[in-house]
Amino acid sequence: MKKNSLSFRIIKQVLFFCLVLGCVIFTIYYIFSRTTIEKATRQNAIHLANNTVARIEQVVNPAEKIPENLAWMLETGALPKDSIESFLSRLVKNNTEIFASAIAFEPHVLAEGVTAYAPFAYRSGDSIKTTDLWSPGYNYFIMDWYQIPAILKEPYWSEPYYDEGGGEELMTTYSVPFYLNKSGESVFGGIITIDISLDWLTEMVNAVKIFETGYAFLITRSGVYVTHPNRSQIMNESIFSRAKELNQPEMREIGRDMIRGISKLSNITLKDKGNIWIYHTQLPSTKWSLGVVYPHHEMYASLHNLNLIILLLSIAGLGLLTFFTIRIINLQISPLTKLTHSARIIAEGNFDSKLHTIQTNDEMQELHDSFQFMQKKLADYIVNLRETTSAKEKIESELRIAREIQMSMIPHIFPPFPNLEEIDLYASLESAKEVGGDLYDFFLLDEKHLCFAIGDVSGKGVPASLLMAVTRTLLRSVTEKNKNVASIVHSMNKTLTFNNESNMFVTLFVGILDISNGELRYCNAGHNPPVLIKKGFSANFFGITKAIPVGLFEDFLFVEEVVQMEAEDKLFLYTDGLTEAENAEENLFGEDNLLQVIHQNAASSPKNLIQSAKAAIAIHVNGFEQSDDLTMMSITYHGNKRGIA
Amino acid sequence: MDNRLNNLQKRRISSWQIVLLILLLFCPGGYAQTGKITFTPHWIPQAQFAGYYAALDQGYYKEEGLDVEILHLTANISSFEYLKSGKADIVSSFLMDAVRQKSLGVPIVNIGQISQHSSLMMITKKESGIDEAGKLHNKTLGIWSSGFDDVPIAFMRERNYNIELVRILNTVNLFLMNGVDALTVMYYNEYDQVINSGVNEDELNTFFFSDYGLDIPEDGLYCLESTLSTQRELLAKFVQATIKGWEFADQNREYTIDLVVQEMAKAHLPNNKAHQRWMLDRMLELLQPGDKNVIKGHLAEQDFFRALNILRLTSPDFPSEDFMFENFHKPLLTK
Repeated sequence: MKKNSLSFRIIKQVLFFCLVLGCVIFTIYYIFSRTTIEKATRQNAIHLANNTVARIEQVVNPAEKIPENLAWMLETGALPKDSIESFLSRLVKNNTEIFASAIAFEPHVLAEGVTAYAPFAYRSGDSIKTTDLWSPGYNYFIMDWYQIPAILKEPYWSEPYYDEGGGEELMTTYSVPFYLNKSGESVFGGIITIDISLDWLTEMVNAVKIFETGYAFLITRSGVYVTHPNRSQIMNESIFSRAKELNQPEMREIGRDMIRGISKLSNITLKDKGNIWIYHTQLPSTKWSLGVVYPHHEMYASLHNLNLIILLLSIAGLGLLTFFTIRIINLQISPLTKLTHSARIIAEGNFDSKLHTIQTNDEMQELHDSFQFMQKKLADYIVNLRETTSAKEKIESELRIAREIQMSMIPHIFPPFPNLEEIDLYASLESAKEVGGDLYDFFLLDEKHLCFAIGDVSGKGVPASLLMAVTRTLLRSVTEKNKNVASIVHSMNKTLTFNNESNMFVTLFVGILDISNGELRYCNAGHNPPVLIKKGFSANFFGITKAIPVGLFEDFLFVEEVVQMEAEDKLFLYTDGLTEAENAEENLFGEDNLLQVIHQNAASSPKNLIQSAKAAIAIHVNGFEQSDDLTMMSITYHGNKRGIA
Repeated sequence: MDNRLNNLQKRRISSWQIVLLILLLFCPGGYAQTGKITFTPHWIPQAQFAGYYAALDQGYYKEEGLDVEILHLTANISSFEYLKSGKADIVSSFLMDAVRQKSLGVPIVNIGQISQHSSLMMITKKESGIDEAGKLHNKTLGIWSSGFDDVPIAFMRERNYNIELVRILNTVNLFLMNGVDALTVMYYNEYDQVINSGVNEDELNTFFFSDYGLDIPEDGLYCLESTLSTQRELLAKFVQATIKGWEFADQNREYTIDLVVQEMAKAHLPNNKAHQRWMLDRMLELLQPGDKNVIKGHLAEQDFFRALNILRLTSPDFPSEDFMFENFHKPLLTK
């Protein structure tokens, strides 16, 4: 597909629009989905944590009741002092969730002189054993399980510890202070404890699975991990030592919130786990804190998978859209391609070539019909053009021949009289069209008389050229019998006037120069007055005569005039094509310009003078089309050189 | 009650029996003569003893022709008990303990002083409002059940403060739960445990005893006078290699921390690198004499007499005869 083809452009625009629209829709969908997932995850995290805490409390709360009831029994005296050991033994035996139980007395409360007594019943295999915890190496008064509740006067869940067998069983002790009535006063009596295994707790928390790698964990009130998917951290690390190891102060802040008992959802990027969401809440009984961890990338995994599917579908969809759009467009514009092909064939001149048939009855059909109409018109026009051209060529050929004939009628060999030293003559005729109406002629009447003429037939083209030919022929035939210029012009006028139905006429200047003495007799029949250049200094127009052009009135009386030429005087004759030569601004060359050119070239030969005049006119018209024939003739009289009598 | 110490106690009994059996079967006096040395640090495995683990791991003892075994205490008792019973040839101990033992006539001698400063301090929570030593008057102070009383009591006596001492075992939980107003801690150990329990440093007020003229050095190496007289050369090699071990630990802290953590795991002790790193860094600081005019590995005479004076202040029945510094401290480190 070409880059600038119609289908390419349409596809480009359609695809661009689809992409923009798709992106907008996708962004809205993505933001909405993300928000929904976040909202759902938040609710899920809170629910999961609260649910887990509730399940833990279901186990812990009944266990808490045992030492509390025992404290009540001791305080009220319901438990006789001498049956404490057997009672404890039975208590452990009957409560399978309890691993051991003890009642540790303060000094002298049980009896004066008893400084320490702590009956302790514990499981050993299937049986229950009892012992006194006190020994010199085991001062229970400074143990956390005794000391902390004793000082704080409130129940206390100890930090977890591994059982005494060195096994992997994690234990915790719940301690409750009790009071005894002594001499009517309630005094602090000691601490009642139960030891419970935390295996069920770790199992319960470890069973929480969140996505792929999410998990729940439990920390004590000093931040130590009680459960954690990474077992090596349990009881070894606290959330604070991990935060320090990972150099993550924000993790420490979460830990501080947790041990303070705050329930909160936080977002944190951990160096070892990446971005996670963590929701934490406190266990009301032990004051430990449960955290549920949602790996960020897994939270959005389903969304990202869906995004991938949408992306793939979009690519496939756009691919199909492109494919079918190209097909449809190509199908729709295929007539255009055919018409283009036809246009080329027609342009090569095959006007009769058959156009491809289109029957779609739509804009394409209209275009096809118009094209067919154009083809027909073009064929007709070409036929006409051929005929016209052929006719024009024929006329042009004839006119060329006519021009050759016309030009051959006037003398065109210079110098015309190489042996005649007395005169130098040059003439030029340039027709504006193929054939013209200007004429000039010169010939010797006898040894000492030079006859010359210049004329301009009215009108242009073929009619003028025919009359010019007649005039020139008439001049030659009349001068054979007649040497008087007035009678020559008169007889030419008479002949031309006869049957002159087209009312054409000729301005004519005819002169006969006696080369022996320089006498010039002439007759001017309505022609532009020639210029007489005296010895190369002053140039003047001949006086204006009242004669009219020949061919108008049969009986008009033409008069002969005489002017004397001295040696080296010049004559310059011309037609109005010279003075009326026009430029693009419609300014005429004029007589002043002519005189100026003549002055500048007064001493030049006739040929040079005429060529200078031509050059001046060319400059004046500056390429503007020549509208009239341009004819000039110049004669220099050198005087009677050979002594002709 | 079923806690770690109980557990330790039980194990002590079994290992004690085994050691006794060995003692009976083989001549106990023969240890050191074959280049075999049993060394007992005065507390459970931790970075406080990193230099010894490093020296053993790097073969520094072996290079000196020594076959050293590090035998840890199995109960909350003094390391001098091991020395007296012949279980150990060399022990480490606090200077205060050693001077007291000497005063009681135990024939021990200091053959090298590792720590040059006191790490003992008191902490209070800022929320308690106790921001100067004087405010400890009529307050409660948590303190270990044995072996650490002298310095705090000397401090109280000198200032006439009435501070109620609350004996604790070895956790910081009572302090964390506000069961005591103040707690005696080692800067390298319990202080960081408190921090690792979620209390920020800026939430604590600290009172270093060293800032109150009680900068008593702590860890030192001790043996019986008889051992010194017969095995002087071997003991010197031990001290030499130990100092080399500490230098290695200084240069290779992360590696050494791994060693420490392995030792702790072997003894089934809770361990984490962050805390041991803190402890090693602090220990290495304590090794430097600083502004004290003393050579590394030696005990400054004025520190010895300062310790004596403290004991005289805290124990009215303390023997009044003169103790010769030269009889107490016989440094084996020549370099």
